Formats: sequence, C-alpha cells, structure tokens
Amino acid sequence: MSDLRPLLRTCGPYLLTALLLCALPFYLDAFWLRIGLFSMAAAIGAVGLGLLSGTAGQLSLGHAFFLAVGAYGYVWLAGEPGPGLPPALAVVLAVLLAGAAGGLFSPVAGRVKGVYLGVATLALVFLGHHVLLTADSVTGGFNGRSVPPLELGGFTFAESDPELTVLGVPFGGEERLWYLGLALFALTWFTARGLLRGRPGRALVALRDSETAASVMGVHVARYRSAAFVLSSMYAGLAGVLLALSFRRVVPDYFSLALSVDYLAMIVIGGLGSVAGATAGAVFVTALPLLMTRYADQLPLVAAPGSGGGSIGPTEASRYLYGAAIVVILLYAPDGLHGLARRTRARLRRRPPVTGPPGTGPSPGPAGATTTDTSDTTARAKEHTP
Amino acid sequence: MTTPAAAPPALDVRGVTVRFAGLLALDDVSFTVAPGTVHAVIGPNGAGKSTCFNVLSGLYRPAAGSVRLGAAELTRLAPHRIAALGVARTFQNIVTTQGTVADNLMLGRHALSHAGFAASALRLPRAVREQRAHLAKAREIAELTGLGAHFDSPVALLSYGDRKRVELARALCLEPRVLLLDEPVAGMNAAERVRMTEVVREIRAELGLSVVLVEHDMGLVMRLADEVTVLDFGRAIAHGTPDRVRRDPEVLRAYLGTTSGEDAA
Amino acid sequence: MTGFLDSLFNGLALGSVYALIALGFVTIFKASGVLSFTHGSLLLLGGYLVAVLHDDLGFAGALAVAVLVTAAVAGVLDRLVLQRVGGSDPHAAHIQTIVTIGIDIVLVTDLARRIGGDLLPLGDPWGDAVTDLGPVTVADSRVAAILVSAVAIGGAFALFRFTPWGLSLRAAAEDREAAALMGVRLTRVRTVAWCLAGGLAALAAVFLVAFPAPGLERTTGQIALKAFPAAILGGMTSPVGALVGSMLIGLTEAFVAGYQSDLHVLGEGFGDVAPYAVMVLVLLVRPAGLFAAKGAARV
Repeated sequence: MSDLRPLLRTCGPYLLTALLLCALPFYLDAFWLRIGLFSMAAAIGAVGLGLLSGTAGQLSLGHAFFLAVGAYGYVWLAGEPGPGLPPALAVVLAVLLAGAAGGLFSPVAGRVKGVYLGVATLALVFLGHHVLLTADSVTGGFNGRSVPPLELGGFTFAESDPELTVLGVPFGGEERLWYLGLALFALTWFTARGLLRGRPGRALVALRDSETAASVMGVHVARYRSAAFVLSSMYAGLAGVLLALSFRRVVPDYFSLALSVDYLAMIVIGGLGSVAGATAGAVFVTALPLLMTRYADQLPLVAAPGSGGGSIGPTEASRYLYGAAIVVILLYAPDGLHGLARRTRARLRRRPPVTGPPGTGPSPGPAGATTTDTSDTTARAKEHTP
Repeated sequence: MTTPAAAPPALDVRGVTVRFAGLLALDDVSFTVAPGTVHAVIGPNGAGKSTCFNVLSGLYRPAAGSVRLGAAELTRLAPHRIAALGVARTFQNIVTTQGTVADNLMLGRHALSHAGFAASALRLPRAVREQRAHLAKAREIAELTGLGAHFDSPVALLSYGDRKRVELARALCLEPRVLLLDEPVAGMNAAERVRMTEVVREIRAELGLSVVLVEHDMGLVMRLADEVTVLDFGRAIAHGTPDRVRRDPEVLRAYLGTTSGEDAA
Repeated sequence: MTGFLDSLFNGLALGSVYALIALGFVTIFKASGVLSFTHGSLLLLGGYLVAVLHDDLGFAGALAVAVLVTAAVAGVLDRLVLQRVGGSDPHAAHIQTIVTIGIDIVLVTDLARRIGGDLLPLGDPWGDAVTDLGPVTVADSRVAAILVSAVAIGGAFALFRFTPWGLSLRAAAEDREAAALMGVRLTRVRTVAWCLAGGLAALAAVFLVAFPAPGLERTTGQIALKAFPAAILGGMTSPVGALVGSMLIGLTEAFVAGYQSDLHVLGEGFGDVAPYAVMVLVLLVRPAGLFAAKGAARV
C-alpha cells in the first residue's frame, strides 16, 4: 500500500480536480456551462499558442486563422454541402487539416523568427478572412454555416437523440459537450506537458533562448520552428472544432485579428511557456466579458450591452481590462498568473523561517538544496522571454 | 563513463578564409588537430580565434578552404549536422538556456536521442525509457564535471564558474569526438581555474577525445596543450609545441609583446 | 488604357500614404528594435482628433494639433511605458513589441467606443472634388495625398540624413551597445523616433479616410497594419526600402482592385488583402525581406 502513496500525491490533485469538473454539470446551469465550455476550447487553443510563442519564442497573430480552419474544416467535412463524413472522423481530419495548413506556411514559419513571424502571420488572418467570405460554397460566406452536431457511436452531443437524464438532471447540449470539452482538454494537457518535458520541449526552449546554442547542440533550427508552428496549428484546429460545436454556428467575422490578439492576451496574462498559465489566462480572457455582460447592471461604470451613447459596455470594459493587463503584467510580473501562483506557493512553503538571510542570491557549493525554494523568483526571471 | 570505441579522427583545417564586409577575419588558416590531443589556438584579441571556432562548428561558412573531420567535410554542413558528427563546443560568453542544470545537459543529449513530437506528446514507453536513460547519463556527466550537487538547480542561480562548467558538461553530453572550448576559464578566479584545468585534463584522459582550446590564460595553455597555433590578424603565424611557440620571436612580438600583463611563464 | 493609368495613379497615392506609416515602423524599429503594433491606434487617434477638432480649429489647425498630440502620445508611451519594460533582458525589444499590442487594445477600444458606428467626416478642403489630368480623372484628395506625403517623406529623409538625431539613429541601428558607449542617448533617440512615427501616422490618417473613402470608422486603424508588409518588404531597417515596399503594396492593391473583374477567381475585395498575399510570397523567397542588409541574419 505504501507504494501507492507517492503516486497518489502526484496524481491526487489531478484526480480531485477531474472529479470536481465532472460533477459541475449537475449543479451549474447552461450559462455557467457555456462559460466553461468556451474556456476549455480557448484553453486548448491557448496551450497551442503557448507552445509556439511562449516556449519556442515565435510570435503568432495567425491563431484565429487556424481556429477557423479547424472550425470550418469540421463543418464542411461533416456537413452538407461537403463530404458528410461521420462527425467523429471529421473532428480528426479537421485537426489534421489545421496542421497541414500550418505545414504549408512552414517555409515562412521555419525561417522567419521571433516577432517578425507575428507580422508574417497577420497575412494569414486577413487572407483567411477573405477566403471565408468569398468561398461561399464551402464556408457559407458572410452568414457562415450551422454546425452539424458531433455524433459518437449513436450518441449525439446535442439537446436530444437520445434524450438523457442523469441523476435527475436533464442532459442537454451543454452538459454533453462539457464532458467532450473536458476530455479534449485533458488530452491537450497530457500531450502538451509531455512535449514540454521531453526532448522537443527542451529543443524549443533552447531555440528561444539561443538559436546558436540550440543549433550547435544538434537542434535542426528550421525544422523545429516549423514543427512548433504545425503543432500549435493543430491545437488551434482542435480548439476551433470545440468552439464550432459550442457555438453551433460559425461566421467569418468571429475569426478576426481581434481573436488572435485575445489568444495572445491569454498566454501573456497566464505567463508564457506554461500549460497551466495558458489555461488560467484562457479562462480569464474568455469568462471576463461573459460575466461582465451577465452582471453589467451590478457593476459600476459598466453599462448594459446595447445602451449606446459612448457608454462602456461589458465587451469594451473587458477589453480595457485585459489590454491593460498585458501592459501591467509585462511591466511588473513578466511571468504572469503562473509566476504569481508559483511565487505565492514558494512563500507559503517557506513558512518556517530559514536560517540565514532569506532570499539571498545564489549560494555556490553543495548548499544548493536550501536555496531552491527561495530561488523561484530569480530562477524564472527570463521565463517571459518571447 | 564508457570510452569511445575508436580514437577520434583528425580534424584538418586547410586554407580557411573568412571575410566580413571586405575585412579578412581569417586569412588562409591551416592546422591539424591530431587525434586525442589538446590543440590550443591563441592570439591577441581580434586575431580571429572565435571566428575560427564559428567556422569549425558551422556557424560561419568560410569564403575558401576546408575543414575535414576524418572523411567528412564540415564547411558545407549546418551546425546541427556537425554536432551529430560529434563536434561539440562551448561559448566564450556563457550561453545556457532556461531551466535546471539537468535541462541544459539533456539538451546536450539531443543529437543522441530520438523521441520526436508525437512520441513525447503521447509519452510512449520508448520515449519515457529513452528519457530516463539519457537523464542517467547526464547525471553521470554532471558528477564527472563536479556539478552533481547542482543537477536539479536552475542554471540562473549558479555561480559564474559553475555556469561555465554547465556549458562544458552540456558539450560533453554530446559524447563528442572533438570538443571545442572557447575560453573555458575566462572570468574565473584562481581556484575555479585550477578546478577547470583539472576537469579538462580528466575528461581528456578518460574519454580520449580531441580538444581544441581557445584561451588567453597562457598558464593553462602551457599546462594543457600538446600543440599550439598562434593567430594574429587572421593569419596563423606559428605552430608547434607550447615550448617552441613560447620562444618563437614572431609570436613574442605579435602576441606576448602586446599583452605584457599576461602570464607568459 | 485609362483603367491602367487610373490604377497607376491610385496605387501611387495609396503607396505614398502607406509610406508615411511604414517609415514610422522603420524608424521605431531602427531606434529600438520594437515592431509597433500600436500604430493602428495612433492612426485612429490622429484621425479622430481631426474629426472632432476641425469644426473649431479649421482643417489645417485640427491637423496640426492632431499631428502634435499623436506625436506626443507616441513619445509618452515609449518613454513612460515601453522603455520600462524588459529591463536588461536580451529579448527586451520583443517583450516591448507585445506590450505595444496591449496598448493598442486599450487605445483602439477607447477610440472605437467614442466613434461608435458612425462615419466621421474630417472636413478636409478637397472633399470629393476631381481634376482632369489628361485622359484620367483624379480625386483631388489623392493629388493632395501624393504631394503632402512627398513633402513629409522628404522631411523625414532630411532628418535621417542631416540631423544629429539621424546620425544617432543610424548608429543605434548598427549596434546599440556601441552607440551607447559612444555617447548616443538611446532613450532620447528612440523617444524622438516614436514621436516622428506618431506624427506621420496622424498625417496618414487624414488621407486614408479622405474621398473616395467614406470617412473615419472604428476599423480605420487596421489599415495601418498594411504598412507592415511594406516595411517588411523593405527589410524593416531601410527607409528607402520601406518607400519602395510601400509603392509596391499600394500599386498591387490598386491594380488588383482596378482589374477586379478579370481577377474574380480571387473573390471580391481581394485588393484589400492583396498586400498580405504579396508579403507572404516575398517572405517565401526572401525571409529577410527584399532590401535586408547583407549579414543581418548572421549568427
């Protein structure tokens, strides 16, 4: 039995979180579930962008394009007009399609580095939007298309078919999609952490911190840059599919530059280069405007949506907030929410006062073990480096 | 440590010329690093020593000349291909990446490991096994270079000397046949210098690799090097054993004469 | 033939306005290594100021105030916000670039809220007047765009070439550390660069929303982003390159729009996004831009 204890200690928090998240649909109404659903979709996309921009240091403003490829890819593949494939297959193909789109861009993504890639990827958003508007037969043009529900072995992720009531709670579309979202998010979490802690993750960090060091250590610079781009496109594609399923309708105007900027805000607010940070940032940026809309009448300075007259609506208020958050975070806490949490943890763990001056700098010699917990702040000083 | 099965091939530099905006950084430089020896490249600041290293590791492409490692021609290869042939290097100004010592050393194992994106993402058993094996190897090399106690410490927290050793250890993780050390003791205090000299001597004895050394510390060069090449204004002005080079009048004029503060003994 | 000349003229007019913006990008980039994503909002700010002030100050007065205020805002943003970000981090310029995105979100949100769904006229003197130039009829606003841009660009080039600031800017672009050692006050050089870029953006706004465009909208700022392809084509550090890139972009856009009926496979309104298509094509062939200095990609 004692063998299980360390395992339980590492997996325990995950299990508990998972249980809690699985229980939520029994207690929350559709409004909250939708917030959760959008947050999960955004988190999947943000984790992907985090791998590219946070870990590999390649700025991308083209994320909205790959979200669109995933969303429209699914709609077209599973829908009519379109090949009308089984929706589950369409999900997989849509993700691959997004990856392929990223791969097509890799001659640029592999050779253009850092913030310059940000400018290059602007092109994807604008050209993509243009295509969404003009390729009516596939995308439905300006009015977009409705999204065929996902169907898996006779079970439909929609209001009915089959009718379902679990423990006295009627399971409609939101409840069902919630579990789909959880599963996809868990997959994202698992794979992204595996990547970051494995050989590819280290190579990407090295690319960001020093291209020269990476290359003389044997990292194929262009190939890894391209791979990071393709990978982030695939996560974006998956997020796009989940968004499409949650929205039930896709329209071109949603996939604008502003959406790309939203995702960038998520990873900056969360702290570049961490999966947990990207998730936290995604929840913040996604939930904020929805919550503000819901509680507009109770918030000072925020007017109900549509009241016009130059007043500050909830969407605007939240854009002010997270625009300012980007600036303030990079000014004062470059490692974002993730770093904030880490520092708080480090401080709590330090409760019994350490002998000697606390928080002193690096102490050489074998005393390294005692410095590790005070060290987190300085150690990660460069984490935000894009 | 396992000793490489065969002695490393000779590193043969022939007529290498590098130009920057019309300026000759290296002018027809030739030397040969005999297998398993320590070959020092010395010269005053701006003599082209670092440029020479950048050519050897594939960061610069020379305008003329060739660099051969055994049968392989290096000048046409990208840096990562040269690394895969077993040429590792350190940098004059420390270039580590974020994370712990372990992370940095594991980067050194990059060329020797295979786990790709899919295998790592899905944590396939072979990727996990591979990672575990290489981590053990990295720890072994950390012990060898005296970094064992810092293995899981963030690099940013280490002292200057330790960070220089992280670079050395990372290069060793590549299991190189040729090791390029760019000023391995620059900026170190006396005790750290002694320690570094010992480490270099040890790894060379144990691993039997060739070492190319750029260094200003003449004491270190005299103690470690089997052969010395002296560069001045991009030209190789002398070759030979440390003793012979030390007495070469042209070297004295060009190099030792201009840096009177240097320990020439 | 008329169609060709029309497109040519429109392209030159558009290109010269893009050049105003692209020169700003290049100047900022040379001075600080930052890519300014704040330019959209600076442009919108300039246009908005002209729109609200022209009734009281007249067009010229409003334009002067708009240029000065926008320049000041840009300078203040650089000095009080951007220069404080990143510290000694070797990637500081990259972090500052992301901060410019944050600033842009705030400014654009605020200006868009003030503008709302309206189309604001700027009260420019040329209105919808046209002039016959030989076989083609051209809008006065476009003639004005070319003339004023030419003067402004000439002025900017004079600044680059003949002032101590221009010399410092070039030194900073070559090697920031060496420039600092030689006594170049980098903070001032880059703040002045931001001011210049801000002023140019405000000026560009006036011509971007003049006839035949309907007026200032909340989305006008996004047009500034089209100058990015122009600056990238020019290699980001070359003012002349930016000028050539801008003309290329302007002409492409005008010709694609002018020959739309022949290019219908590309879809309606492709002219608007054609600059980005050109940028992708160029980056595929030359990732460092057309006019990038040799050795810029050195390790």
